[in-house]
Amino acid sequence: MTAVISTFEVCRYFGDDQETMVKAVDRVSIEIERGEFTAIVGPSGSGKTTLLHLLGGLDNPTSGSVELSGANIADMSGATLSDFRRDHIGFIFQAYNLIPVFSAEENIEYIMLLQGVDASERKRRVADMLQQIGLEGLGNRRPNKLSGGQQQRVAIARAMVSHPQIILADEPTANLDSKNGIALLDLMKELNQQSKMTFVFSTHDEKIMSRASRLIHMHDGEIELDELR
Amino acid sequence: MLLLKLAFRNIFRQRRRSLLTALSLGGGYILCVFSFSLSEGSYNSAISFFILDHTGHIQIHQDDYLLRPKIHKTIDDPQGLSELLDANDEIISHTLRVFAPAIAYSDTDNAPARVIGVALERERSTSTLAVKISAGVYIDDTLDAEGYYSAMIGAGIANNLNIGLDDELILISQGADGSIANDIYIVRAIVGDRTSPDRATVFLPLIAAQEFLSMYDSVHEISILLQDDGAARSVATSLQEQLPELSVAPWQVVESTFYQSMQTDKQGNVFFMGFIIFIVFIGVLNTVLMSVLERTREFGVLKAIGSRPFKIALMITCETSLLASLSLIAGLLVSVPFTAWFTSVGFELAEPMDIGGIVMSHMTGEMSLYVFATPLLLIIFFAITISIPAGIRAARISPTEAMRSH
Ligand SMILES: Nc1ncnc2c1ncn2[C@@H]1O[C@H](COP(=O)(O)OP(=O)(O)OP(=O)(O)O)[C@@H](O)[C@H]1O
Ligand SMILES: [Mg+2]
Repeated sequence: MTAVISTFEVCRYFGDDQETMVKAVDRVSIEIERGEFTAIVGPSGSGKTTLLHLLGGLDNPTSGSVELSGANIADMSGATLSDFRRDHIGFIFQAYNLIPVFSAEENIEYIMLLQGVDASERKRRVADMLQQIGLEGLGNRRPNKLSGGQQQRVAIARAMVSHPQIILADEPTANLDSKNGIALLDLMKELNQQSKMTFVFSTHDEKIMSRASRLIHMHDGEIELDELR
Repeated sequence: MLLLKLAFRNIFRQRRRSLLTALSLGGGYILCVFSFSLSEGSYNSAISFFILDHTGHIQIHQDDYLLRPKIHKTIDDPQGLSELLDANDEIISHTLRVFAPAIAYSDTDNAPARVIGVALERERSTSTLAVKISAGVYIDDTLDAEGYYSAMIGAGIANNLNIGLDDELILISQGADGSIANDIYIVRAIVGDRTSPDRATVFLPLIAAQEFLSMYDSVHEISILLQDDGAARSVATSLQEQLPELSVAPWQVVESTFYQSMQTDKQGNVFFMGFIIFIVFIGVLNTVLMSVLERTREFGVLKAIGSRPFKIALMITCETSLLASLSLIAGLLVSVPFTAWFTSVGFELAEPMDIGGIVMSHMTGEMSLYVFATPLLLIIFFAITISIPAGIRAARISPTEAMRSH
């Protein structure tokens, strides 16, 4: 098996003062394999968000390394890092993922525009994604005309459409009721199985966790348990 | 394209705020254009007033006659000079003048007078003297049956001496050779009214004045009218090179008191405009910064999914410039017809206003590229300048922090 992403002893500490320093992520070494559907779970403040941000190159580690396809994200910055995220990583956040002035289609199209994908290909992929997330016909609605669940689906489509190496989702269901949350997760799982795209997401929710094929339990910034199911 | 689309939609997102900002930008622009147009317009009409009234675009004198007029500081070969000036394409026309103080007498009264001898036909095409005649006819330089020359007199003199058309006027002065000069003239025209600047002037045919003052062919002043209003300085410089023994001065020097007060006043205008723009831009800066702060999370997402920081800064600049451009287009739509009206019709002042020594009661504006373009470019420039710090701020937003803030 090949690791899409691997960390070695990655740490993220907040604050300079020894006494008050928060070890949000502490010496975490993990490998995520291609096609995994992994959940990061743990109590509030255990470091899930911080770890996901480190994996996605949104945050710089205090020490340690994060490697994606052989490149160390910790060494990148500025436009290089932006381009790297654009081409290799898909993000889904808890809420307010979408650009409010863009329609669903335009939100999905945006990264491809940044990448310089040509118009006909963009159109094709957008239509394809809309169909996969079950929102055909709603493509020209703006986010405020979509339900929370629909918005999150669009966010999934946006994350997937550029064919990234990995999709990172920080509590993607937290703002949805449990029925919609489970539906969203089932959609993610389905897409994961169809496309072999790698998904790592965090959650509090027991029902959601149960869908994951691997659970990484965090506590106080450290990995407490890493179980395959 | 994408940036423009984004900018456009973001502007229409906060309609009320954008409208307010646009109103202050557009309003500031209109105010600037108006004040510019007014000042350019009133100065230009003041300038064309005195240029046509008597000054001309350029004057030629002997020595420092302009500063210290003395009867003996004369231009001695006016014919030769006239030929040279007539051959110059940039010159519409020119006129020759002599000046002297005199005392004017009628049978019953006397009054101080300023005698000006003018080359009648040349004067007619160079200044508005002929137009200013309020009674009688423009004179010629022939002698009447009794051997007298004709004169045109200011209404003030006519009033003080109690004389009118066809009456005799006696002038006494000192000739260039020191002799006493005196002669009789027949009044054929009254110039202006009792308040006009010419009220104490006696206009004589050039030849009559030259004889009266024993000046032979010489003159004191040559006043030149040009094709191009803006060419006074450059033509004056080239004439000066051709006439090193004389003093050639553009109207800016001839009317230096006016010119200087105009320059000071224009600086005041620029300051006023700067102040308006400053006020407008404090508001704009506030709006732009606020809209960046409000959208912290959105910029965080844009950055997280791979927009380069520079692109984000550009987005803000694009938005601000677009809003400024839209406001300016609206401002132009309002100010062009308004300025056009103001330029062609103008309005009456309740109280006449003194502009650099010239009293004006009717204000008109000026319609020129300068009037519209100067505030436009300034506003665009400031809009872009102001968007830069806001853009940098947006570009620096850390996605991690943006995701936590809410
Ligand atoms: N910018 C920061 N400055 C200081 N401390 C921070 C910062 N970001 C995170 N922390 C701290 O790091 C720890 C881990 O936070 P993190 O958000 O990763 O936890 P989490 O598992 O995502 O929690 P939750 O389930 O509530 O989202 C917390 O104690 C948090 O207070
Ligand atoms: Mg979290």
